[in-house]
Amino acid sequence: MTATPTRAVQRPPSAAQRPAPFLRGAPVRRVAAALSFRNIGAVYVWLVIVVLFSVWAPDTFPTTITVKQVLNGNAVAGLVALSVVPPLAARVFDLSVAYTMSLTSVLTARFLVSAGLGPGVAVALAMTAALLVGVVNGIVVVVLRVDSFIATLATGALVQSLITMVTDDSSITGVQLLAKPFSSIAQLDAGGITLPVLYLLLAALTIWFLLEHTATGRRLYATGFNPDAARLQGVRTDRLRFVTLVASALLSGFAGVVFASSVGSGSPTAGTPYLLSAYAAAFVGATQLRAGRFNAWGTVLAVLLLGTGITGLGLATSAQWAASLFTGSVLIVALVLTGGRLTLPAALRRRRGSHSRVGSEAASEGDALSAVDKETAE
Amino acid sequence: MTDISSNMRQDKAFRAQRTERPILRLAALSKRFGGTQALSDVDLQVAPGEIHALIGPNGSGKSTLIKILAGYHHAEPGARAELDGEPFDLGHATTSRHDRLRFVHQELGLVGELSAIDNLALSHGFARTALGNIDWPQMSRRTTALVERFGVDIDVRRPLAKATPVQRTVVAIAAALQGWEGVRGVLVLDEPTAVLPPGEVARLFDIVREIRDSGAGVLYVSHRMDEIFALADRVTVIRGGRRIATRPVAELTPRSLAELMAGEETHTPTDTDHRPAPSTGSTPSVLQIRGLRAGPLRGVDLDLGRGERLGITGLVGSGHEIVPYAVCGAHTGPVSGRLRLPGRSERWTEARDADTLGLPMVPADRAVEGVIGDFSVGENLTLPLLRRLRAKVGRLHRRRESALVDDWIRRVGVRTAGPGARITTLSGGNQQKVVMARCLAQHPPVLALCEPTAGVDIATRLQLYDLIERQAAEGMGVIVCSSDTQDLLALCTRVLVVRDGRIAREISGRDITERALVHAMEGTE
Repeated sequence: MTATPTRAVQRPPSAAQRPAPFLRGAPVRRVAAALSFRNIGAVYVWLVIVVLFSVWAPDTFPTTITVKQVLNGNAVAGLVALSVVPPLAARVFDLSVAYTMSLTSVLTARFLVSAGLGPGVAVALAMTAALLVGVVNGIVVVVLRVDSFIATLATGALVQSLITMVTDDSSITGVQLLAKPFSSIAQLDAGGITLPVLYLLLAALTIWFLLEHTATGRRLYATGFNPDAARLQGVRTDRLRFVTLVASALLSGFAGVVFASSVGSGSPTAGTPYLLSAYAAAFVGATQLRAGRFNAWGTVLAVLLLGTGITGLGLATSAQWAASLFTGSVLIVALVLTGGRLTLPAALRRRRGSHSRVGSEAASEGDALSAVDKETAE
Repeated sequence: MTDISSNMRQDKAFRAQRTERPILRLAALSKRFGGTQALSDVDLQVAPGEIHALIGPNGSGKSTLIKILAGYHHAEPGARAELDGEPFDLGHATTSRHDRLRFVHQELGLVGELSAIDNLALSHGFARTALGNIDWPQMSRRTTALVERFGVDIDVRRPLAKATPVQRTVVAIAAALQGWEGVRGVLVLDEPTAVLPPGEVARLFDIVREIRDSGAGVLYVSHRMDEIFALADRVTVIRGGRRIATRPVAELTPRSLAELMAGEETHTPTDTDHRPAPSTGSTPSVLQIRGLRAGPLRGVDLDLGRGERLGITGLVGSGHEIVPYAVCGAHTGPVSGRLRLPGRSERWTEARDADTLGLPMVPADRAVEGVIGDFSVGENLTLPLLRRLRAKVGRLHRRRESALVDDWIRRVGVRTAGPGARITTLSGGNQQKVVMARCLAQHPPVLALCEPTAGVDIATRLQLYDLIERQAAEGMGVIVCSSDTQDLLALCTRVLVVRDGRIAREISGRDITERALVHAMEGTE
């Protein structure tokens, strides 16, 4: 309408104004950004922890035994943590993962010990049960539209009742659980590193590929960030959310089988301690590598960080309370460092415009920024 | 009102020179967002007993100014502000300022689930009985007294969600004016008519005049010129973050005010050269709709020609805004009717399966439905195009993706630090270009646009018009659903006006004027 903007319309964008291509900065800057504290802060914190415990417990901590202990001891926790990553990417909470894990562990044990089934059949049946839990979660959350946080807590209670039915609230043990083919699932090792570590790597690799290198992953994130906008762009948000709930049930169910194999019993409370650490790792992980997005390698990194800290505390002190203290503190610090952004739904976040970065502040300021746009046009 | 005589003396002084003793004085007000200047060096003075209009196009900085006054943003150092001669700090909602500066924001700031009583009590507390519980009879009396002043009958106990728009506006004004009686201050109204049906605007104006006549200053923010002439005493025009002029309204004509708003040597949108000659009507259809019913729509038929730019408009609630959503299968709720794309297939599709046609849409609310704020420019652009970017084992072809993104960023002229920049770092207009680009990249036969220029500054608006025209010239049919008459005047070859769920009037070619549109919308032809 003014003379100036008309000029802006006619002027073709010159080469200098052309935006930089996708992720193609100078290599040095890219490396610096990749190694920045913002990007991989957990690695630096982890290094500090390693140095700290090496000084604190010089005889027991800096040993290969500790390395194996951290890796082997946290593989199951890592699997559970990874299982909540795809749902969280789509902003769905699956709080039933801990119960699903307990369920598969006791079912596998039950089928092996009381029913006398072979390990293959027992594991298959237990995984089918996990699949069913996932489908029920999907129906309640996606079809019946109950908020996932409370819905999966409720289905978790249902699963817990099933567990009690199967076990009478006591662990199932038996020689079949310790016998060769089944025990190998978790106990086969190469140079002291057991198979679950490999499962963890495979699961992380799969989820990483899915989330970051496929269209499905992109759509999952879109569903999580803004379901309305995603739906308008043809993303089938309901189907994706359903699938993530099934996937999380399957992966946590598998973690239960691995757990049963590694301890040689089916425990009705096997999964319970893993719930907090899984969410802690997923949320800390979301502050790493791909800040603001729940991602696989960040989660693995967080599991190792938490695992190292807890193992170190165990070696350096005999205080039982230190482990939970450490987990809780790391979680709070990591979330504070990212400004609590992750847990807030998009709608709430926009209202906090004045507290967040200039960018998102500007977003709520269509008016102000358009003025700005005009300025740049002139 | 103890100082009536001094007031009168001041009034005389004001007639001589209105700005001598302003009730609100702002000087050298600037605001930067990041590297960009939203307001620069703005002065503003509001006299007591004056309705001072603040007018400017979208993106001129009006809202920023109001938000600084309200203490939501901090002004850059160097800004000075005085209220009735007392300086105050811009950037802190100090109590003295709160007492005298009152705001009615565009969204009214009411809680719809609560009653008028509760809403008024949110800022001023509840009356209590001796036992400490809420004294409901007294609250009811107090609220009724506050609201009755404005001659509007409201059940003060009913949730406001069930009240009419004008009743809600009155409650918002009453809430803003609570405890204000007798204090010399300024009431700031930020586009209060945006949510009002036209018939109710006159009543709001009476209320605003009454407030002025009690000796207060009123700062009335608007982007509608007709309101300025109906209501204001003086007007300050801001554009591009700068104050362009402050003039008594009596000295202005709509044309001279339009020139101040748009800048010199320009034409008003009514005689824009963007508007084409009326279409011949012989072009083949690209979209046909029969008997569309959805929400308030009660049977809409339309034919969209190849290369046609068809406007759909109406008042809020008429149902016009539902048409594009229904066409693209994005309407939530029951839909009936049939539609087909003759260029593509002769088969009719049920309207409830419209999403299978896969027509893209530029939605009305960009932040909520349009962009994904946590995604980059590139990710936003390719979201509906991902199927095209598939390589082996479902992998995304990153190289093809970035080539596609670079290409479209260049084609529609998006100003961004790079395709990896977060979409929210872009201005509204540039975000809109991204939304537009991803629709165009699907090469659809029909593109539906809802409020395509909402929150977009004038320069970008013209670029968007240009882009839409070029697409239409290549044969795409465009539906422009807008309540902004400027869009319709500048873009459309034909406009359908929806009233009460039906197409009430069809206007085409040179007959599309602001006047004709407004009359058709309101049914006052």
